[in-house]
Amino acid sequence: MSTVIVGLFEGVETAARAGRALKGLSLPAGSVTTISAVPLPDGAVVTDPAPIRFPRIAIAGWFVGAAAGLGLSLATYMLYPLVTGGKTIVSVPPTLIITYEVAMLGALLGTLFGGGREMGLLRFPPKAIHDPRIHDGKIALCARVEGDEQARRAIEAMREAGGIEVRAEEGEL
Amino acid sequence: MSGVAPRPGDHHLAHTDEAKLFERLSRSNLVTTWKWYLGVGIAGAVLLWGVIVFMYMALTGMGVTGYNKPVFWGLYEASLVFWIGLSHSGTLISAILRLTHATWRAPVLRGAEAMTAFTLMVGGLIPIIHLGRNWRVYYALPYPSSRELWPNMRSPLMWDAMAITTYLIGSLTFLYVGMIPDLALLRDKSAGWRRKFYSALSLGFRGTHAQWRRYHVASTLFAILIIPIAVSVHSIVSWDFAMAKVPGWHSTIFAPYFVVGAIFSGIAGVVIVMAILRKAFRLESVLTPLHFDNLGKLLCTMTLLWGYFYFTEFLTVWYNRNPEEWEVFSSYAGPYLPLFLTMIVCNFVIPFPMLCLKRVRRSVSLILVPAISIVIGMYAERLLIVIPSLARRNDPFIWANYFPTWVEFSVMAGAAAMFVLLYMLFAKFFPIMAISDIKERLFHTTDRTIGGTTVESIARVEGEEEAHA
Repeated sequence: MSTVIVGLFEGVETAARAGRALKGLSLPAGSVTTISAVPLPDGAVVTDPAPIRFPRIAIAGWFVGAAAGLGLSLATYMLYPLVTGGKTIVSVPPTLIITYEVAMLGALLGTLFGGGREMGLLRFPPKAIHDPRIHDGKIALCARVEGDEQARRAIEAMREAGGIEVRAEEGEL
Repeated sequence: MSGVAPRPGDHHLAHTDEAKLFERLSRSNLVTTWKWYLGVGIAGAVLLWGVIVFMYMALTGMGVTGYNKPVFWGLYEASLVFWIGLSHSGTLISAILRLTHATWRAPVLRGAEAMTAFTLMVGGLIPIIHLGRNWRVYYALPYPSSRELWPNMRSPLMWDAMAITTYLIGSLTFLYVGMIPDLALLRDKSAGWRRKFYSALSLGFRGTHAQWRRYHVASTLFAILIIPIAVSVHSIVSWDFAMAKVPGWHSTIFAPYFVVGAIFSGIAGVVIVMAILRKAFRLESVLTPLHFDNLGKLLCTMTLLWGYFYFTEFLTVWYNRNPEEWEVFSSYAGPYLPLFLTMIVCNFVIPFPMLCLKRVRRSVSLILVPAISIVIGMYAERLLIVIPSLARRNDPFIWANYFPTWVEFSVMAGAAAMFVLLYMLFAKFFPIMAISDIKERLFHTTDRTIGGTTVESIARVEGEEEAHA
């Protein structure tokens, strides 16, 4: 857990002003974020420095699914070699269909688990920073700080920008 | 919607009373009326009756149905195609509207996606109902057993099982992921057991900037993935028929024809569901005539497409006069004339001229006429696909007509009740309106003055999601 300064703002403009002021504090990348009820464009208030990688997991999921589908079709053909409608035991078109369906399922699950993991879902830290008032139109600007001096300057910057409530909290961002 | 006096250049969310907006959009979760209990009671009773009759059928045997030689597929299979078809448009519409950034989409998304999930659950049960010895359904699972039997992946029925499973998982995931921000909202607005319930379901979503960015990319990816899956599902359902050398079924046009028919009935289903939600939960200010107008335009296009496909299929058989196929089509003028007329009138004659009129499309009560008509017409079409082809199969000495018994009607009524019950329970415990999407739309909307008039202007960050997806 670390100290987080949470400023509550009426709208995007004041939050953006505070965001610009926080840049002057040279806080490490990723230590300033917003919590809002609607998604804000990247750069409107803060910038997300972390790259989005999970689409690669979706692609990997597709290949794993394709391999599973292919394996499932081939294995069942060989384990139970039943001639169906005069076709060969190992028939290509049905294999393509099963492979395709399982591949798409793999990509979906890859997106679900990869996206969920990168979003930090299913992680319930004992004290996660949050403010339910975001659902009433407020925007919470949160800055993880180190030391009293940085905390004081962050609070000052948020108050000057028009924060309607600025507080220091111990918790995880 | 106004909460604060608007200033020029403000986005619409800034002058919206969000507490009131939440109350309006969450009415289904917040208020429980006697009508809801009555609806649940009736749907539950019909479902119970359907289950009892199904048990009777399972214990007695399929002989209690109207099946005969050669009609071994009847009401159950027609209903399977019908329910899977209905499932098509919910997720598909939602995905297409999401990818094309249709600005009017937000209020339609959730209700349509939920429709897909529940119609698929009902549709997915029907092959099990029709199986005969239902308790052996696990034979379809690929697992090593002492019998050394493995599912036959060369059978179109196994393709169907795989496709429906993939689509069901995909649709449920699409529905659930789309709901996460709204579940987080309900978590923050509720108390007691509901808070615990929504806390668990919202998976710790808080709405941080990083979470929102990834959430958008994930939504776009899901939308991209779900469209080809949706198309493949109904293509494969059509191949259950088209792979067989049965006159009337063995046609190359079947896959696209089924996909078009599924989207057609699915959009009609979405219109009906939206109209019911609007009335039941007083969503008049959210589900506006504009939404029905746009859905009506889609429906009108699909009416034409369906008509085009049906005529193409009919014309080739009519001109070719292949005796086996022609006997099937001739029966449309015989014992199946009522079904044929119902299909043509309800799918084309009624809806097409009506949907051409803007007055009809923008009136919620009037647009229900073509929508209900299409659902009836498409059910007739499903029956017409399944039954005459078997009843007039190659050898005239085995021709026989088919009529369902009370058993099939009861079980299918139970299936319909199951859909209604699931939908009502969903509307009670989950956000039936995509609240976050609606708020996002308001956040992106400003009033812009052009000359002497003021128009809505909707901002969009170009290509951010696509760049990743």
